[in-house]
Amino acid sequence: MRWTVGVFSVLLALAGTQVQAQDFPTKPIRILVPFAPGGFVDTAARIVGQKLHERWGQQVIVENRPGGNGFIAVSAAAKSPADGYTLLMAHTGEFVVNPAVFKDVPYDFDRDFVPITQINDAPIVWVVNSNTPHQTMQDLMNAAKASPGKLGVSSPGNGSINHLVMEWTTLETGAKFLHVPYKGGAPAMAATAGGEVPAGIAALSSAMPHMQSGRVRAVAMSTATRTPVFPAVPTLAEIGVRNVQSSIWVGLFAPKAVPQPILDKLYGEVATILAMPDVKARFAAGGGVTGGMKPAEFAAKIRREYADAKKVVAAANVKAE
Amino acid sequence: MDILSNLALGFGVAISLKNLLYCFFGVFLGTLIGVLPGIGPVATVAMLLPLTFNLDPATAMIMLAGIYYGAQYGGSTTAILVNIPGESSSVVTTLDGYQMARQGRAGPALGIAAIASFVAGTFATLVVALFSPPLAEIALKFQPADYFSLMVFGLVGAVVLARGSLRKAIAMVVLGLLLGLVGTDVNSGAIRFTFGIPALAEGISFVALAMGMFGIAEVIYNLEQRGKSREVFTSRLGSVLPSRDDLKLCLWSIARGTGLGAVLGILPGGGALLSSFAAYTIEKKIAKAPRNFGDGDIRGVAAPEAANNAGAQTSFIPMLTLGVPSNPTMALMIGALTIQGIQPGPQVLSQRPELFWGIVASMWIGNLFLLALNLPLVGLWVRLLAVPYRLLFPAILVFCCIGVFTINNNVFDLFQLVAFAGLGYVLLKLGCEPAPLILGLVLGPMMEEYLRRALLISLGDPMVLVTSPLSLAFLLAAAGLLISIAVPLIRAKREEAMKE
Repeated sequence: MRWTVGVFSVLLALAGTQVQAQDFPTKPIRILVPFAPGGFVDTAARIVGQKLHERWGQQVIVENRPGGNGFIAVSAAAKSPADGYTLLMAHTGEFVVNPAVFKDVPYDFDRDFVPITQINDAPIVWVVNSNTPHQTMQDLMNAAKASPGKLGVSSPGNGSINHLVMEWTTLETGAKFLHVPYKGGAPAMAATAGGEVPAGIAALSSAMPHMQSGRVRAVAMSTATRTPVFPAVPTLAEIGVRNVQSSIWVGLFAPKAVPQPILDKLYGEVATILAMPDVKARFAAGGGVTGGMKPAEFAAKIRREYADAKKVVAAANVKAE
Repeated sequence: MDILSNLALGFGVAISLKNLLYCFFGVFLGTLIGVLPGIGPVATVAMLLPLTFNLDPATAMIMLAGIYYGAQYGGSTTAILVNIPGESSSVVTTLDGYQMARQGRAGPALGIAAIASFVAGTFATLVVALFSPPLAEIALKFQPADYFSLMVFGLVGAVVLARGSLRKAIAMVVLGLLLGLVGTDVNSGAIRFTFGIPALAEGISFVALAMGMFGIAEVIYNLEQRGKSREVFTSRLGSVLPSRDDLKLCLWSIARGTGLGAVLGILPGGGALLSSFAAYTIEKKIAKAPRNFGDGDIRGVAAPEAANNAGAQTSFIPMLTLGVPSNPTMALMIGALTIQGIQPGPQVLSQRPELFWGIVASMWIGNLFLLALNLPLVGLWVRLLAVPYRLLFPAILVFCCIGVFTINNNVFDLFQLVAFAGLGYVLLKLGCEPAPLILGLVLGPMMEEYLRRALLISLGDPMVLVTSPLSLAFLLAAAGLLISIAVPLIRAKREEAMKE
């Protein structure tokens, strides 16, 4: 009896899947966000959510589940039904940094999730206060080498991707800095702009207003190529710091077992949205380059960055707990 | 006259019919959610965010800003009527406001809160209009050591908040500091005292603690009285508006509160938060009959209300000119601008003058709306107290639960609410007041963060705390305040000993 029920429900589920793939979505979709409203991950979810709503006519609800370094939202998404109606908007922190710095992480990227696509990708920039004598990244590193561990660098937090990029730069070049963590990117950049800390390592979106006002000078970018938003700023690779390559991305994810046809539909739709000029313009205002990367490519990128982060964490002995 | 042409530009934007409507909608909604215990501006702004996608950036910001300062107005209503502070800034308003309500003077308390808020809002908006760029520079010059010493001053002031025993007040501050240690340490990233619960990684929920210890504990206490103390409340409503004497008494309190709030609001690292506490402390210290404070002194409502509203307006300075939010609502407004493709920062003023000046002008209009909205409403709110308690208290409980839940969409926060309601009730029975505890909880983590950052940057040299003139001034002021608290006590002790 139990056996027949089992088979029946499997059949029903399969039938349901086929119907779902064609008609998807037939009810509101929710996107979990591991941050309070207002941040860049939340903003990305709202921009994409709004467009999905316009195209599909279904409500897209952005549900903020902040706290616990993202553990709360990501584990909730991992445990949600894999039907495509619960998605997760997450960033570098949840899938690259957390598993590298925390001993116990209640989720696993490969076990629990499939990526849909990268939404947005923004460089991390090394900046200095404009009143400091450092004109280039080389100057900054020389100054750090002259007095190891004394040149202050602000970051949005201990165990943030920015912090890891700083440690990575140290590992590659031997220039040792004084890490000064803040609670988030905005106060960290304000500290460098005001001269409280001479240098900083920030997401381009946080640094941009202060770069434009002339309070801080960007000396290097963490990405492989120069960013179209600030083409004058060299990459770390160009100035000889070859291996350090990182960025802050935002991506859309689904629980692992979501049927492939639904994933395909989601990817197609989101990729179309990301190609829209107004969407591109919104992300560019924050210094980001709009994504649209294929799921497999994105997954490979995440695994590669995680491996890098793990190496840096081990070598620099970064600890979150 | 640059400023005049700028203001003309601003009013040109703000006075368009559409923007007037959205401004009114914002402040009206803000007042409403401010009055509902527990439902805060953060949840409201988050819910309305999608609405702003299709609005002009200036219109969107005018509405969101209206919700923010409207909620400051409305929040004092709940603090006065049912002893529930929706935000840390209205904690102080509960002290004398709720006592006034118990004495049948809810009307004057609400009236003076509205008037003080209006005066403060109007003045602070002028400050924003005249001095934004230079003030942003000052905010940037404020170093970690200065912040730390400001917090020390605030914490010493917390003791003055207490109505009764000084010893108990100190104990409460310390308990608050200890509770404030829960969560992630900013410097090392270590997670402390969370017992493996992810929801505690960012610390104890302030709203859950404030609702629990003030609101729900008070509900339990009232139910225990079986209507005895509630009768006092409902039978005598008293006059609805503050008398001429009240106004005269409060004039300077409002002025001092406004000045203090306007100055502290500029500091994004916790200034606006401190302003109402600091204003209350100062009033109590310089008052001729400080004994009335805590027992329904109208100045104890006027000064902090003025301070928190002035602070709410001037905290737009760091937000708009530096992109640094001083609270979660501000962070959301930054998010709203980002969605519009505007990165808040110093360039907003030069590249988008219509946005900046439009918001500034709308604040004046908004404050006027709020006064017009709130003064006539005072009578209505007061009548709310006449609602039978058996109907009122379940409503309070439901709203508190909804409010606490909507902040993080997390059930664990409700458990925190229950736990702090229990603790609050026990403390109420012991005659320990929750206000100093709350200040300890809020200031403790910031104090630690700033002290450690100051020492980190100075490479471990503690002299940085006294070499900065600002920091030294705050520390001296804190020492002075401490002495002025301690001396009468010591004298009293000695006199007691002499008698024997």
